[in-house]
Amino acid sequence: MTAPMLLLPILLPVAIALVVLLIPSRVKAVREVISVLASIVLLYFAWSFFTIKDLTWKVGWLGNGVDFDLRLYHFSAFILLGLAGFLFLIALYSTVKMKNVPRVREYYAYVFLTAAFANGAVLSNNFVPLIFFWEGLLLTLYGLITIGGKKDSNRTAVKSFILGGFCDFSMILGVAILWKITGTLTLSEISVKPEGLAAASFILMVVGAIGKAGAMPFHTWIPDAAIDAPVTVMAFIPAALEKLLGIYFLARITLDFFVLEKNSTLAIVLMTIGAATIVLAVFMALIQKDFKRLLSYHAVSQVGYMILGIGTAVPIGIAGGIFHMINHAMYKCGLFLSSGSVEHRCGTTELKKLGGLRQEMPLTAFGFAVCALAISGVWPLNGFVSKEMVFHGAVETGYIIFAVAAWVGAILTFASFLKAGHSVFLGPRGRDVPAVKESESPVFIPILTLAGLCILFGVYNKLPLKEFIEPILEGHVEAGEHLDFSAHALAVFNPIALISVGCLVIALLLHLYGWKKAGRKAYLASEPVHKFPVLKQIYDLAEKRIFDIYEQGIRFLKGLSGILFKLVDRPIDAFYEKGVTAVGRAFTGVLRAAHTGHYANYLAWSIGGLLAVAGIISLLLK
Amino acid sequence: MVFLFIALPLVVAGILPLVGKVSKKFLPDLLANAVFIVLLVLVFFEGRGIAGQEAAVRELSWLGEPLNIRLLLDGFSLFMLFAVALVGFAISLFSIDYMDHYGSKANFYALFLVMIAGMNGLLLVTDLFQIYVFLEVAAVASYALVAFGLGHDELEASFKYLMLSAVASAFLLAGIVLIFGVTGALDFESVSQGLAALDSRFLVGLCAAFFILGFGLKAALVPFHAWLPDAHPSAPAPISAALSGLLIKVSGVYALTRVFLNVFGLTPALSTVLMYLGIISMVVAALLALGQTDIKRMLAYSSISQVGYIVLGIGLGTPLGILGGLFHLFNHALAKSLLFLNSGSLQMATGTRKLDEMGGLGKRMPVTSVTTLVGSLSIAGVPPLNGFWSKLIIIVALIQAGRWAFALIAVLASVLTLWYYLLIQRKAFFGKLNEKWASVREAPFWMTVSTVLLALLCIATGIFFAGTVNSWVRPAADAVVKGLQTALGSLGF
Amino acid sequence: MIIEIALLCGLVVFSAAAIIFRDLLRSAICLAVASLLLGIIFFRMKAPYIGAFEISVVAGLITVLFIVTIALTKTGGDVRESKAAAWIFPLFFVVFLVLDFFVMRGLIGKIPALGAAPEEGGFGDVLWKARTFDLVGQIGVIFAGVLAVLALFRKRDKDE
Repeated sequence: MTAPMLLLPILLPVAIALVVLLIPSRVKAVREVISVLASIVLLYFAWSFFTIKDLTWKVGWLGNGVDFDLRLYHFSAFILLGLAGFLFLIALYSTVKMKNVPRVREYYAYVFLTAAFANGAVLSNNFVPLIFFWEGLLLTLYGLITIGGKKDSNRTAVKSFILGGFCDFSMILGVAILWKITGTLTLSEISVKPEGLAAASFILMVVGAIGKAGAMPFHTWIPDAAIDAPVTVMAFIPAALEKLLGIYFLARITLDFFVLEKNSTLAIVLMTIGAATIVLAVFMALIQKDFKRLLSYHAVSQVGYMILGIGTAVPIGIAGGIFHMINHAMYKCGLFLSSGSVEHRCGTTELKKLGGLRQEMPLTAFGFAVCALAISGVWPLNGFVSKEMVFHGAVETGYIIFAVAAWVGAILTFASFLKAGHSVFLGPRGRDVPAVKESESPVFIPILTLAGLCILFGVYNKLPLKEFIEPILEGHVEAGEHLDFSAHALAVFNPIALISVGCLVIALLLHLYGWKKAGRKAYLASEPVHKFPVLKQIYDLAEKRIFDIYEQGIRFLKGLSGILFKLVDRPIDAFYEKGVTAVGRAFTGVLRAAHTGHYANYLAWSIGGLLAVAGIISLLLK
Repeated sequence: MVFLFIALPLVVAGILPLVGKVSKKFLPDLLANAVFIVLLVLVFFEGRGIAGQEAAVRELSWLGEPLNIRLLLDGFSLFMLFAVALVGFAISLFSIDYMDHYGSKANFYALFLVMIAGMNGLLLVTDLFQIYVFLEVAAVASYALVAFGLGHDELEASFKYLMLSAVASAFLLAGIVLIFGVTGALDFESVSQGLAALDSRFLVGLCAAFFILGFGLKAALVPFHAWLPDAHPSAPAPISAALSGLLIKVSGVYALTRVFLNVFGLTPALSTVLMYLGIISMVVAALLALGQTDIKRMLAYSSISQVGYIVLGIGLGTPLGILGGLFHLFNHALAKSLLFLNSGSLQMATGTRKLDEMGGLGKRMPVTSVTTLVGSLSIAGVPPLNGFWSKLIIIVALIQAGRWAFALIAVLASVLTLWYYLLIQRKAFFGKLNEKWASVREAPFWMTVSTVLLALLCIATGIFFAGTVNSWVRPAADAVVKGLQTALGSLGF
Repeated sequence: MIIEIALLCGLVVFSAAAIIFRDLLRSAICLAVASLLLGIIFFRMKAPYIGAFEISVVAGLITVLFIVTIALTKTGGDVRESKAAAWIFPLFFVVFLVLDFFVMRGLIGKIPALGAAPEEGGFGDVLWKARTFDLVGQIGVIFAGVLAVLALFRKRDKDE
């Protein structure tokens, strides 16, 4: 393993993307085999990189401190491994699910390009290449969403691009300020206190990170994409990739670049954002009537846990947040893949139409169940471990309100998954859907793999905690504080864990109540919450997209431009029309007229020019 | 070996008319393209040879007796040789299909090779008079090439070009003669030392003015530019590409830079004059381009504008400015040739050059549309294409030197540039397909290959610009700067 | 001294006349005369080779070529030009001369004497040995010229 091999995770996917793009559409099998094999190769390399865990490669690029700097260390190796793993699962899954999609070559190309850019972003040790790769992800995401081919796919793709672009712009601004403060662009060399100008940089970069991760209020493209984009794209990017990258960056910001202190203003801001995201998104998730949209809102909500955990600035909280990142990636990916499996066989993901699929699709059902229980934080799965760590951290900060918000979130999470699972897999057999079989193996293998990992990371949590998480926190805790989280990870008999269990019970009761009230229709089980007095108005407003900053932003801009148009633009336009354009046109016209094609004229200009130049030189000589 | 750069094209040009009698199309195509491939290989070979070394003045010998042929190969000339070989290759590939209907292909290739030989010679000389001679070689070939189509417009354009160039050559010769008279020598080093020893500011100033007329006309700086908008559109598309992409740069910018920066030294007065000429060209030509309806005329004016950028960067005189100017020279050579070649494709497909008559061709000619877009965005300076980086470097150099007004104007001119290029794209390729063009097809194979190659080079140079800058442009800029420092400081103005 | 000035003035006058005359034959003759005057100037400056070349090539060969071409071709209809064009060039020319006069007057005292370069070998040595590379260039120009004639006077094929 030599240092330049660090380029492999970036260049190999690019090469594969080009190859896949060029293979003619008829030879499907070749393309799929190449994709899966390539992802296996990348996974192998990611694994061997992880075992080495320390490698840097630096090449001067633009001067002025802008270098192409790649650094493999425990955190980036860990993320790299995660990225490679998800790439493999998605590639495998796509061989079946994306078989007959138009533009499938582009799909695979974009997927591999996304992997390349993501790998590049993770490995970058210098802000400029990092930003370059980060931006590239916007383009591939745009492309991937448009592959969905639905009526609104283009619009949603543009929305994701603009929201992402805004967050990226904020990040670039933050990086620029940071550069001005520290004078360096190398990630591993930066560490400042977040006060004054640095605080502004901190916030800007945090916006960039959480925007990428899909937190509120930059999340509004995700539920739209759930319908408009292919489900594999949902499983790959919002579920897995973006969380990994966004939270990786957030962790670097709060641990490496800036030293975030517990209960400082900035930490509280982070925790608030986290808590708000948890609660608001899960409220939206609860009332969804489409399986995929429900999952997408949960993806947003779970990011809140990660942000909350990292915002606590307490070791156990931070560790919990980061652990939650990888856990979430796994179970959310699994959940999306299982929804894709259902869609693959049944042709729909509307909860109303589905039901009772547990007998016909047992493996999907099992995978779904495990992942759903994991996301709800049921003992002893991975979600329980990471959530408990976050709760502990939140409580440790002293601000109980955040923990309360997180618990409310936990209640509604479980309730919504009870609703979803009940609607799809339990209950009476939906009549709108014909008889189906279980999906093919490339579909259920990834689901089961992820489910298995959820179980593994929960029960044997020592493995991920020791290998992945604890090294990240080394050096960030006071000497003497031990970093062993796994010892009490599965402890249930402490107040916090008991409250969590209590939340699960409340959720179960809520679900059963709603189910009974709605005449034993599972998909209406969330109606009591939906129709609850104050909530109802808020929900209605949300339906009208009042809370979607993108929509509001567009509306505001339209309004603003209307005002500007009447007040400012017309007058300027008149001036411009009569003044500038006329002058400009006059200039152009004069110049055009001057170019008569007449040789003598041209000669005269040349000689005139000579005289002018000679005159000027002689003047300057004096 | 270096002499091959000049000898090979000349020799092949000599035998091509004879070959042309035997095989009308195939052998000439093959021979001409083979020459360029050999030239490209030679460039890399020589490049590795002089990598990191000082400039090499090679003295040739024939059968043991030293011939008095000295060739100067430094980073700058190698860089230009590379550009000439690369773009020349693309052009000759394009010509395989495009020149089919002009007839007498072998003669075309022969003239083209003579022009290339002249350019290469100009790039390698060590002597003022030899600059003049090889400039004339390339120029005479180009007069004939502009008139190749034998139509009324072409002949008229060629004639005007010839007459204006003749004036330029005359003044060039006058300047060279004056310098010879004063210093008694013609080769760069002796002249440089001679001028430094003498206190002849006014004479040098006068010669500088003559050279600016001469080389400025070749480079098409305003106000010496007027021949270009007539000559370039009338010429067959590959020749327009060669003229805009190569000739104005080699016989104009390169010669100007060599003489002013390595022989005279770039004094503040000269720097000011060059920068103003550059900025005026930039703006005036951009304004003129906006008013055009003929796509090739618009591109021709754009060439003038971009040469303004190059001269602005080089005229600034700082290492970064020179770097930016040279890099922009390379990028513009790639992109402008690409655009002119595509205009040829358009002309071949639709029979017209008027933008208003085209429309919606993107659907029928997708490759041409995409490559034109790449070329346009490159020249307009849109990241991450190559033109963006070179323009950025020039603007940064201007800011670093404190020339804020120039930098601002350069940025505004960039906006103007983007505007008229988007106009081209919109009028020709986007929008509804004009009924007339419902049955046009994409350009033939070699034309497509050539333009795709250039487009890929634009993209690659943009993405890997650091590598390109470091391996090719920086040695060139260093060579120029070193020459500048040797010559500077001694002329008193 | 007087002779020099007279010859030079004559050169300028006949060159300008060659351009201003509308009749091609008269222009060609003026060109020949101007070249003759230039040749005489060269002889007086003790550059016999150049004088001989000048007279034989320009006043001789080129004038003959012009006259033969004029005789073998018909002049096309006169191009109608705007009245302005007729006097712009003479005006510019006069202005240029005036400016030139002032520039030269300013320069005269300041230009160091153009030293006579030491004669290094005869004409043949200079041509073949000292300026060998120029010969390569000359070959190039000759090629360009020949090819230009071949290209521009080619027979148009049916498929053009």
